[in-house]
Amino acid sequence: MAREIYAYKCRLCGTLHYPFRMVCKECKQNDFFEFDTVPLPKAGTLVTWTRVYNLPAQYEVATLGLGIVELENGMRMLGQLEISEPELGMAVIGNVEVVRKEPYDDYYGMVFRAA
Amino acid sequence: MRDVYVAGIGITTFTRLEYPLSEIASYASMMALKDAGVTEVDQVYVANMGSPRVNHQTALASAVVDSLSLMPAGAAAIENGPASGASAIKAGFQAVASGMEDVVLVAGVERMREVNNLEATDFVATLTHPLAEYIYGVTLPAHAAMFTRMYMDRYGVTERHLAMVGVKNQNAALNNVWAHLQQEITLEGILDSPEAMTNNPYVAEPLRFFDACPVSDGGAALVLVSEEKARELGRPMIRITGVGQATDTHAVFEREDPTDLLAVRKAAKDAFAMAGLSPSDVDVAELHDAFTILEIVESEEVGFFPKGEGHIALEKGETALGGSIPINVGGGLKGRGHPVGATGVAQAWEIVTQLRGDGEARQVEGARIGFTCNFGGFGNNVVCLTFVRED
Ligand SMILES: [Zn+2]
Repeated sequence: MAREIYAYKCRLCGTLHYPFRMVCKECKQNDFFEFDTVPLPKAGTLVTWTRVYNLPAQYEVATLGLGIVELENGMRMLGQLEISEPELGMAVIGNVEVVRKEPYDDYYGMVFRAA
Repeated sequence: MRDVYVAGIGITTFTRLEYPLSEIASYASMMALKDAGVTEVDQVYVANMGSPRVNHQTALASAVVDSLSLMPAGAAAIENGPASGASAIKAGFQAVASGMEDVVLVAGVERMREVNNLEATDFVATLTHPLAEYIYGVTLPAHAAMFTRMYMDRYGVTERHLAMVGVKNQNAALNNVWAHLQQEITLEGILDSPEAMTNNPYVAEPLRFFDACPVSDGGAALVLVSEEKARELGRPMIRITGVGQATDTHAVFEREDPTDLLAVRKAAKDAFAMAGLSPSDVDVAELHDAFTILEIVESEEVGFFPKGEGHIALEKGETALGGSIPINVGGGLKGRGHPVGATGVAQAWEIVTQLRGDGEARQVEGARIGFTCNFGGFGNNVVCLTFVRED
């Protein structure tokens, strides 16, 4: 099964949250576990991007593409970019892949490519 | 609430310092205590972001109070990311204003050159959202770069505007012996000449090397006192009249408009309201220019210029020494350096220096009202302060 990244939907007011928080920012409900998980959409448009040259030691690449994407449900997220010539507003499609390697852990996140 | 005055200030050179962390804080503190003319304090706050991780030292305030032989004064370290410094000033302000303490020493310190640049960058990046930002390899330069690209697209800010902030602030540092960077730069050298791409390569497009502050070690300190104590000490009467602090979402992308810095806007508004001042009253300001774009945007969000017009004011020279609102006349973070925990205190140090009329070549003539903005996270935790010379 394909890996997913989840948004968190408040059971009281329906507000979607990403990333996870303990208390809904809209209705401020204070009951525990009052969120349902909903997979984030994969398709969206590029809001902004950068190509980073000075990377933390874990990254054995020369440059790293990063961007903020507005997903088709209106939520935004940050992801890595595998796009040679990014442009603002371009359509992108995400896939959940390893985005950071640590000695004992692989971290999964969204990697976006041109749609 | 009691009035709170700055009776003493101290600072170390910002550079690579081969001294233990607590000694750097203590050196700045000794200068501040001597300047104020006090040998005993009620409370010590030490602002620092990275000592457990970068310097393998915890409980820093206990080390500083011992080094300064200030026992049995109360002491605590305050970690609030890059806004640690002004957060510690706020804590000191509250302590004196409440009537609980009469004399508080606030020191800010960082020693980041103990690790290499990549480790220092990674250490600062730990302030980002752990799951939605940090795991992707986001650094503060990357955040600033993505923010800059949106700002360029929306408001017409160009790489030239960014370079103009860099030239202004780095060259201003030449008038500040405590500042890290002591090398003059020109638009020609970092932007226009054929060598510019070599001199000034991209670190995170569209930001280049000279758009970012250097990685520095250093310390700064203030002595905060009650009015009665201030009159007894006889130093210039410089009062902290406004304190504002505000927060925003941890993840930058989650903000309704990611080109707004709402925490800057609110912290400044609250500080001005508390002081009974408006942005146009300010004679000299210290804004948190960890990246050149931030000086432009903060100059709008704090209310000096309308949204989207900060770069136009910059072009007109309004923000330079001699302009309508001189910003970062001591070099800012860009020229002075950015030992993270020290920065908020160093901003206050510069403003008090100005209000005392001790700015020498960088003095803003007749400055009586000063303002600082200490920007934590990528705009998720911001402290603004106003200072007024009363005598
Ligand atoms: Zn809700």
